[in-house]
Amino acid sequence: MDFWREIFMALSRNKLRTFLTGFAISWGIFILIVLLAAGNGLMNGVSEEFSDQSTNVYMIYGGETSIPFKGHGTNRSIRFTDKDIRFLETEVKEVDQVSPRIYQNGFANFGDKSGSIFVQGVRPVFKDINNVKMLKGRFISELDEKSSEKFIVIDDNLSKKLFENEASPLGQFVIVNGIAYKVVGVCESEGRSDGGNGYVPFSTMKKITRQSRYWMLHFTVKGLETKEDNEMFTEYLRTQLARFHEFDPDDTSAVYIRSRQEEYLQTMKIFNTIQLFIWIIGFAMLISGIVGVSNIMRITVKERTNEIGIRKALGAKSRSILASIVTESLIITTIFGYIGMWLGMVVAEVSGNILSKVQEGKEISLNIVPSIDIRIVLMATGLLIVCGVLAGFFPARNAVKIKPIEAMNYR
Amino acid sequence: MIRLEKINKTYFGAQPLHVLKGIDLHVAEGEMVSIMGASGSGKSTMLNILGILDNYDSGNYYLNGKLVKDLSENEAADVRNRTIGFIFQSFNLIPFKTAMENVALPLYYQNVSRKKRNQIAMEYLERFGLKEWADHYPNELSGGQKQRVSMARALVTKPKVILADEPTGALDSKTSAEVMQILREVNQTGITMVIVTHERGIALRTNKIIHLKDGVIENIETNNPDQIDFSKEIK
Repeated sequence: MDFWREIFMALSRNKLRTFLTGFAISWGIFILIVLLAAGNGLMNGVSEEFSDQSTNVYMIYGGETSIPFKGHGTNRSIRFTDKDIRFLETEVKEVDQVSPRIYQNGFANFGDKSGSIFVQGVRPVFKDINNVKMLKGRFISELDEKSSEKFIVIDDNLSKKLFENEASPLGQFVIVNGIAYKVVGVCESEGRSDGGNGYVPFSTMKKITRQSRYWMLHFTVKGLETKEDNEMFTEYLRTQLARFHEFDPDDTSAVYIRSRQEEYLQTMKIFNTIQLFIWIIGFAMLISGIVGVSNIMRITVKERTNEIGIRKALGAKSRSILASIVTESLIITTIFGYIGMWLGMVVAEVSGNILSKVQEGKEISLNIVPSIDIRIVLMATGLLIVCGVLAGFFPARNAVKIKPIEAMNYR
Repeated sequence: MIRLEKINKTYFGAQPLHVLKGIDLHVAEGEMVSIMGASGSGKSTMLNILGILDNYDSGNYYLNGKLVKDLSENEAADVRNRTIGFIFQSFNLIPFKTAMENVALPLYYQNVSRKKRNQIAMEYLERFGLKEWADHYPNELSGGQKQRVSMARALVTKPKVILADEPTGALDSKTSAEVMQILREVNQTGITMVIVTHERGIALRTNKIIHLKDGVIENIETNNPDQIDFSKEIK
């Protein structure tokens, strides 16, 4: 009891010193936590971005040849045809469903309202491939595709522009580039574009635009679990396409094969690097905090050398002086460490809440909501406390070792 | 009370310095002794050895009948705490403690309860006329008051020996006379007193003046302070 009173007195009588030591600790912990929270927020945002997309999706794009092959020169455009679609659907067991993607730019009109539109001709499976979220009605159906219905799904942006005075856009007819389509569904707007998006059945657009060579084919796959599976499948696909379209299988610019899993892995790799970088910065902050605390402790003990000498002359034992100095540093580091920890967590939580409110209902490509791992926070705080105590212990041990008369005369 | 036998002390620095060269000395219980000498004569070193604040190289030092040699740190701390009271030239009060807390500090290391030691500290402060200053910090006190606080602190454990290192060195002549008067009164209660000084006026108030020169005792002068008229003594 007396021991604690003695320590409390030493701390409260030296407020500035106590505060400065404490501040270094609080600051170190605070910055570390805020940094880690921001890093976690970034990671969460990226994972979320991918979590609502299926990763079993392949996209192939036609390119231009760069290597002469079988009498063909270079710079020959490779485009896909119905034959490729049939091949994928029937010959390749890994392929589930195929959707080509053809498109047209233009204007959509309803009454005296109009808006620019990017119309894509796709099959029903495209809804899953591109994660199209329906707000009203339905997406293109198999039946629409089979009978080449003039049906259209438009996005929210365009719907608001064209049908602001109508009760419902469903069942209304919009004119796109001179052809009337019946609206069967409204989907969420995608990204930041001001213009509208629209989806019509692939077969319908194919007839209207008389396209038979397609630049993009999307399809879903099944049974490809590992990176190796995907690599082997990509290789197989490339050789098959090379055979049909007569290009060198080593010609990487002839067709581009992308899998979303690959994209996902690549993006994760980038963000893992960022995460690592944040950890390194955080760790550096922690070290500079520790160095700061050690320095202040060292100076504090040096300042107190006279006092230590006096106490020894009056009969204090080295052990009791050491115990009180170490306890003092333990109290300072613990209290201020926890203050820093709570401040850091409060800032991370509050900014997280504000950010998620701001982002709610807005079209933002990445949701960054800071979050913290309490175990890491406790570990970092604990580490700093231990270091703070050691930083007090070693100089104090040296100070009590010197002869009392030298300590008293120390300047 | 104090017996020194052939005490030698050398400081080993870049240039080894033989400070005490075989000191023999006996101070009886209740004596009041002063040690005089020029700076560098070894008088402070001698006092530090007497106070077990420093060690010696060879010889024997008996304090209160016990040999003080190669004591462990804890033993030395105990002897200092129970047998010796220190008075320093620069007072050596702890700046962030009040007068009362400073006086009570030696009792803290004797594990005396807080209430008890504050009570004892107050008694001593009262004795030195500092009752009203008990809650003041050292920087709020005058030099004379600070020295009285440090005297109270030296006496609070009822030591056998008081060791004073230039106790009046930082004080004016009037205050010096007061301090010396108090020390004499303390001595008359039976406490042995050793005062290091380089002022003859101070030494003349003690019963024995030990003259130290270049690490040896030059001569010991017996003195009767009661026969000296201090009103004429010029500091």
